[in-house]
Amino acid sequence: MLAEVGLASLAIAFALAVYGALASLLGARKHSEGLLCSGRNAALLTLPALLVSTVMLVCALLTEQYQISYVYEVTDPRTPALYRFTALWGSQRGSLLFWSLLMSIFTFAAIGLNWRSERRLMPYAIAAMMATLVFFLGLSLFIENPFERWWLLPDAPLGEQELSSALIPAGAVAPSEAALRAGARGLNPLLRHFGMIIHPPMLYLGFVGFTIPFAFALAALASGELSTGWIKATRRWSLIAWIFLSLGLILGGRWAYDVLGWGGYWGWDPVENAAFLPWLVGTAFIHSVMIQEKRGMLKLWNMLLVIATFSAVMFGTFATRSGVIESVHSFARSEVGFPMLAFWAVITLVALTMLFWRWRRGELNDEHQFANFLSRESLFVLNNVVFIALFIAIFWGSFGLPITSELFFGAEVTIGAETFEFFVVPLFIAMYILMGAAPLSAWGATSLARLGGALRLPLALTGLSVMAFWASGTSLLVAFLGYGVVLFAGYVALYEIYRGAAARRRSLDESWLRATLALFRRNQRRYGGYIVHLGVTVIGIGVIGSSVFQTEVQHTVARGEMIAVQDYTLRYDDFIRAQAVDGRMMNITPVTLFRNGIEITTLRPRIDDYAQMPMTIAGAHSTLENDFYVLLIGGDYERATFRIYINPLVNLVWWGGLVLIIGTAIAVYPKALPAPPRKRERVSG
Amino acid sequence: MTDFSWEKPKNLEKPKRSERVKFLTAGVVILVAVLYLLISGTLQGARYFITVEELLQDQTYHGQTLRISGAVDGETIDYDSEKAVIQFEIVNIPSVYEDLATALHEALLDPAAARLRVRVEDAAMPDLLQHEAQAILTGALGADGIFQATELLLKCPSRFEESTGPEGLSKIPEHQ
Repeated sequence: MLAEVGLASLAIAFALAVYGALASLLGARKHSEGLLCSGRNAALLTLPALLVSTVMLVCALLTEQYQISYVYEVTDPRTPALYRFTALWGSQRGSLLFWSLLMSIFTFAAIGLNWRSERRLMPYAIAAMMATLVFFLGLSLFIENPFERWWLLPDAPLGEQELSSALIPAGAVAPSEAALRAGARGLNPLLRHFGMIIHPPMLYLGFVGFTIPFAFALAALASGELSTGWIKATRRWSLIAWIFLSLGLILGGRWAYDVLGWGGYWGWDPVENAAFLPWLVGTAFIHSVMIQEKRGMLKLWNMLLVIATFSAVMFGTFATRSGVIESVHSFARSEVGFPMLAFWAVITLVALTMLFWRWRRGELNDEHQFANFLSRESLFVLNNVVFIALFIAIFWGSFGLPITSELFFGAEVTIGAETFEFFVVPLFIAMYILMGAAPLSAWGATSLARLGGALRLPLALTGLSVMAFWASGTSLLVAFLGYGVVLFAGYVALYEIYRGAAARRRSLDESWLRATLALFRRNQRRYGGYIVHLGVTVIGIGVIGSSVFQTEVQHTVARGEMIAVQDYTLRYDDFIRAQAVDGRMMNITPVTLFRNGIEITTLRPRIDDYAQMPMTIAGAHSTLENDFYVLLIGGDYERATFRIYINPLVNLVWWGGLVLIIGTAIAVYPKALPAPPRKRERVSG
Repeated sequence: MTDFSWEKPKNLEKPKRSERVKFLTAGVVILVAVLYLLISGTLQGARYFITVEELLQDQTYHGQTLRISGAVDGETIDYDSEKAVIQFEIVNIPSVYEDLATALHEALLDPAAARLRVRVEDAAMPDLLQHEAQAILTGALGADGIFQATELLLKCPSRFEESTGPEGLSKIPEHQ
């Protein structure tokens, strides 16, 4: 029953999305209010249809309906309820349905918020959003159906008797409940982690969120409404998508750090990079859009960036889901690969063709030109150049080089993590320098003397900090340079907040707290942006500390013996073999951690055995200063081998991520709901 | 939505000649710097990604830093926890295959498939290093015929992969 209802509502959602796209396009062309409203209503109705479909799949997961092959593949009778729920996005088919549900939620919200204010854009925007939804629902219905069930065909030849199908084949019978329960596979143990519970939905929300700015950009190109509307309608959507994408990337890093057991959080794997690419172009877009708002410049560039962001999202989705890209993260090789590649190519080509057409007609000409090399808009453009250079370098290393070498030289050529670092380190240095300098320059024109004057205090603070760092006994040039540029960007952000608050204090005689709060209220985006810059600074400090100063040792000790690393000592206390409620066997080795001879804590590194697949679970003592991270490599009651990492400042990566999210939330938080227009506008094509 | 300010074009100011020269120079410098970064990085860090068979057949690859991929033979895995050294054998898998799990399984059943001994130093024993896992290794083939790897990535598609079919749904297990 669950499968039938789920499948039917999925088919209804597909039909509604097709109708919504066509009716919106036709309505806009024919100037038909009735068709437009009908198309809008169909788009809105995709949400309840997909909610029913998703609830059916979740119910099937929770109530152990193993005849549904997706449930059979991602859960088993011992899977805890929480992981039954998160199994919705634990594998390809469920996550595609979840993707469509999120797309529908975003569409619903975009229609609710923008239908009245952006009437000329909305029909085309709805058509673009529905076209994307049609594609993903089509994948779910025809290629990766989450409601397929196992059937037995008793009359079929041996070896062809078991079949997974959404519809009931002629002469088929259902397999026995007992056989299904015994064969069910269960969720991949690597995905049983809180980071994996939240990481995929966040990443999907980020990916799906960028569909909305793209849809509005397409609508602007289609309708010719190229002035302010699409920028106004999309800037908040871009920031919302950016928050989720950032959160998804940070949580993915945290998952890798906790689960993969190599003491790191970013491995420059193609699939990780594929998720980072839209973030880079999206970040360039949310900066350059400010120039269009303030100065009426970069209209063509902003269109290009929003198209490139969506294109990168689609490419990232293809890279993760097709299984074509050689990666430790990729899903199984799937038939969705070719349709996804085709959709990515078609949608990118259509958008670029429309852009070219409008550009040739002279409708994307700028209203100002760059007049001064040190103006804020010039530095913002430089910032864009850095982000795009990062995009090109990472794309080249992850996909461009392997694909072109294979195509033209018949042999695949790849690069490793050290080459990615060679590419990105100078570009990140440039990014931090610009992050510091740009906020202090003025729109239009700035002289070197004026910019230099504004930079004096942040540069002095940076110099003092680096000297203090040197006095602490460090002599590594890379660390000096890294901390110098990162701190400079952070000091500028703090200095700008201080300058703003001080100016209010002087003119309005307010307290520091009141002046600072008023400052954030009056210009949320600007000051929220500075908090984001502070977050990026904190992340930078964490990345430099944990990568440049990491310590890694491995020792085998007898029970009761100690391992000394820097000023820490670890004592191997005990070996416990236990069974968890979900059936996995655990080898636990409690160890006591001392620092400078004083006992700090007890850690319990362990190895869990999930029926032939072991999982090493680290024991970690986390402080802001560092992480003491210990892995049990193997052993018994007498002796055990431990691998120990000391990762200085690594927790700043996560805390910086939190600051970044808070800053973006400040920037995006609505001031007040827009007043509804008094009269209903006439729709014109 | 927040306030929105829009400046209508009054008159298009033209940048001074000296500023235009600065923009042009900066553009060329940035382009050259980024191209230099990409080209020099690629030339230094590029490695061929080949199969075990290609490595063993072509002597020009010997001693070069490369990336290879193969199926892990579980019976040959040996981990020296005192020295943190992993040794195992990988078996050739073709560069193009339909289904990874099947390719790994068939490669290990083929007695004629090319085999290579691999040594990874200073490494923790990875959870995924097991029979029929796919190993993707970066390193070089030494004169002793052992591939000295500096990086080891593993994919283990056999159990938690959706492409594999069910087993024995038509039978009721004895213990039920």
